[in-house]
Amino acid sequence: MFHQSTYFVGCVGLMIVGLYTMLTKKNLIKVIIGLSLFETGIYLLLVVVGYIQGATAPIFSRTTGSPAEMVDPTPQALVLTAIVIGVAVLALALSLTIRLHEHYGTLNLRKIRGLKW
Amino acid sequence: MVAVLLIIVPLGLAFAMPLFNFVSKRIAAYLPIAAMVCNLILSILLLPSVMENTRIVILGGLPPPLGIHLVAGPLGVGLSGLISLVGLAVSIYAWGYIKQGAQDKYHALYLLLLSGATGAVLTGDLFNLFVFYEILCISSYALVAYLGDRNGVESAVKYLIQGSVGSGLILVGIAILYGMFGTLNMAQIAIHIDNVDSPALFLALVLLVTGFGVEAAIFPLNAWLPDAHSSAPSSISAILSGIAIKVGIYAVARVLFTIFGVAVVFQYVLLLGLATLLIGEICAFSQDNIKRMLAYSSVGQVGLIVFAMCIATPDGVGAGLLQLVSHALSKAVLFLGVGYLVARSGSMSLSSLNGIGKRMPVVCFACVVAAFSLVGLPPFVGFAGKFLIVRAALAGKSIFFTVLIGIVFLATVVEGAYFFRMVQTLYFKDAKRQIEYKKVPASASIPIMALVVFIVALGVYPDVLLPYLKSAAADLLNKAGYIKEVLG
Amino acid sequence: MRILISCVLLVILSLGLVFALEQAPFGSNQIDNADKPGRFYLNQGMEKTGAANVVTSVVVTYRGFDTLGEVTILFIAAIGLGAVFHSRKKVKRYEKEKQSASLILQTGCRFLFPLIVLFGTYVFIHGHLSPGGGFQGGVIIASAFLLLFLGCEEKKIPMKSMNTVESLAGIIFVGIGLAGLYWGESFLENFLPRGMDYMLLSGGVIPIIYIAIGFKVGAELAGIVAGLIERNP
Repeated sequence: MFHQSTYFVGCVGLMIVGLYTMLTKKNLIKVIIGLSLFETGIYLLLVVVGYIQGATAPIFSRTTGSPAEMVDPTPQALVLTAIVIGVAVLALALSLTIRLHEHYGTLNLRKIRGLKW
Repeated sequence: MVAVLLIIVPLGLAFAMPLFNFVSKRIAAYLPIAAMVCNLILSILLLPSVMENTRIVILGGLPPPLGIHLVAGPLGVGLSGLISLVGLAVSIYAWGYIKQGAQDKYHALYLLLLSGATGAVLTGDLFNLFVFYEILCISSYALVAYLGDRNGVESAVKYLIQGSVGSGLILVGIAILYGMFGTLNMAQIAIHIDNVDSPALFLALVLLVTGFGVEAAIFPLNAWLPDAHSSAPSSISAILSGIAIKVGIYAVARVLFTIFGVAVVFQYVLLLGLATLLIGEICAFSQDNIKRMLAYSSVGQVGLIVFAMCIATPDGVGAGLLQLVSHALSKAVLFLGVGYLVARSGSMSLSSLNGIGKRMPVVCFACVVAAFSLVGLPPFVGFAGKFLIVRAALAGKSIFFTVLIGIVFLATVVEGAYFFRMVQTLYFKDAKRQIEYKKVPASASIPIMALVVFIVALGVYPDVLLPYLKSAAADLLNKAGYIKEVLG
Repeated sequence: MRILISCVLLVILSLGLVFALEQAPFGSNQIDNADKPGRFYLNQGMEKTGAANVVTSVVVTYRGFDTLGEVTILFIAAIGLGAVFHSRKKVKRYEKEKQSASLILQTGCRFLFPLIVLFGTYVFIHGHLSPGGGFQGGVIIASAFLLLFLGCEEKKIPMKSMNTVESLAGIIFVGIGLAGLYWGESFLENFLPRGMDYMLLSGGVIPIIYIAIGFKVGAELAGIVAGLIERNP
């Protein structure tokens, strides 16, 4: 249906949107949203990398399942790990954001300049 | 098979920490000490046998190309010994130093940081390296913000954002490599890379080096380091400077030498290392805040280590590894010592430490020894490191390297200037105001002095380390040997 | 200026990425060879481990060390959050506006809570047979706690028992790994009989590890959610 590189363009596009958000936005929450988008793009990329044309999910059952018609299970395991790592980073980032807001009363990164270069 | 315990013991003790807390709150501080003693003994016992032949530790019941495995080679076990030595010193120090905040959480995070570092240097699987690297990074984000003060939280946020983008780039690099070769085993990827010549590989290399370079603080990626190292509690600064950066350097070196092994790139990374060295030392010279000065000095030293490794001869890599050991010991002593100096004088400004050397003789003496070792003065280990680097760089007799060594000497002069300024401040200036003298507890002075003994002993007898450095350098550089050991 | 520079950087990065990914075309079979791990897992994973869900057998046994690492990372996030929040002053700003939820909402939440927990438990117990597993089930359980926090304001979760569950589950995971080292040949090796295919009791240690992970992830994420919405006792 689609040209095959459409999928890659989607993943890379999501990553780029995330990075662009991180680079240009001033609000820390928006930066964290950008980080989240960037990571989502990477997860999609990992899944897409493991896909094999016409294959199904790598789960056997009594009626169906031949190993030749299944996609590669390894990237799916990697994505699971990567998602959990992303969740952990997100939780820590949000908790630090709460503390930062208590100290400065703002989340504007241009105003949070306690440490000079 | 025993090598897996190096990772599992700290991990298991950290998992069990909440249970120990029900028995007594005071056990928490002893657990890191116990785990590090155990790791140190294990590493020392393992080292002679892995010197002869690398041990492959299978995990999950499948042989190397299929499952995850650990590679207990001279480099991995040697680094884990270094990690447990510095970790032991810092955990004894933290026992008396950490008095505020949730102490049990501090000790659990600290144990996890060390097990992440140990896992990263031992593993033989690219994705597993990423996972342990993340354990190291995420626990250090949390530990930098441990005190919850303004600077700590702000620098932790900076560190977290830059570190996460770096880890994202590593994942993209892994995805590209997996898409091309269908495997994550470092040795198997290394075989395939030799047979393929494609620009996509160059992109994967750049992404991996950039991602791991964030933790290693190679030049354009070091913006987080001075903030994070200066705002963290001093024991954490010591472990970040002494251990965390080294794991980053290890990962970059593994990717560059073992997985890719493309000689063309070494020159560029070498120049990056030189830039890191110059910028770090010059920024350190202009600092008044003593912990920021030490942090920038770490940046400079990282540059020197990367420079030495990218000479890419066995001598050069060995010299880089010796410099790595020297920096880990010396910078740990400096941060630990300065932690108490700062706590007593109440300010991180260099001028507030005027004449403190007469009041706190032991700590200041240790700091001076460590500073001299970093500058590269003779009876200390830093001299041996720098001497070997210069010898390795000049071995090829090329004009290019002679010019570069000139720049390294220039950076060393700058380094000497600010460390001598520090010594002058500590001893030869009169105190403007009376500092209340309180004895430094034995839990601080004993580990500091123990590390100082190592600095002096290794400086007098560097020959003890040379055979280990030689086989560790071979472990890193000899791509064919690594592949053969892992895949048989 | 800032926008311009970032645009240029990102265009370069995206062109490079798309170009590089052309080398591994979409849908191509990169595990064509029998010595590639992915192919091996598909061909022999079912026979070796007895788990019908190949992804689960990869996650729990072959790449089990990664999973141990990822459980550790969640643990770090949970205690890191506790450490960061430890020294903060109690914020009393929202006290005034607080209004308890209506009776219907409260009853609904209490009614749904056990059902969601049951569903989560189902997902992690059947992780080796169907899509799902310890992480997914744990997240579902944590969402039940989130519902409870949102609906029933006065509910507090007992942090002490949460910590105990978390810690015990972690120790069980490590302990099973060490038992594999003791009775088998390597860490995290399957040392139990693999059981009947497609039945609940199959896959050897996989269900046990996934149950431990389910409890651990559920407790940790519930703790993280509780910490973020200031409901720690």
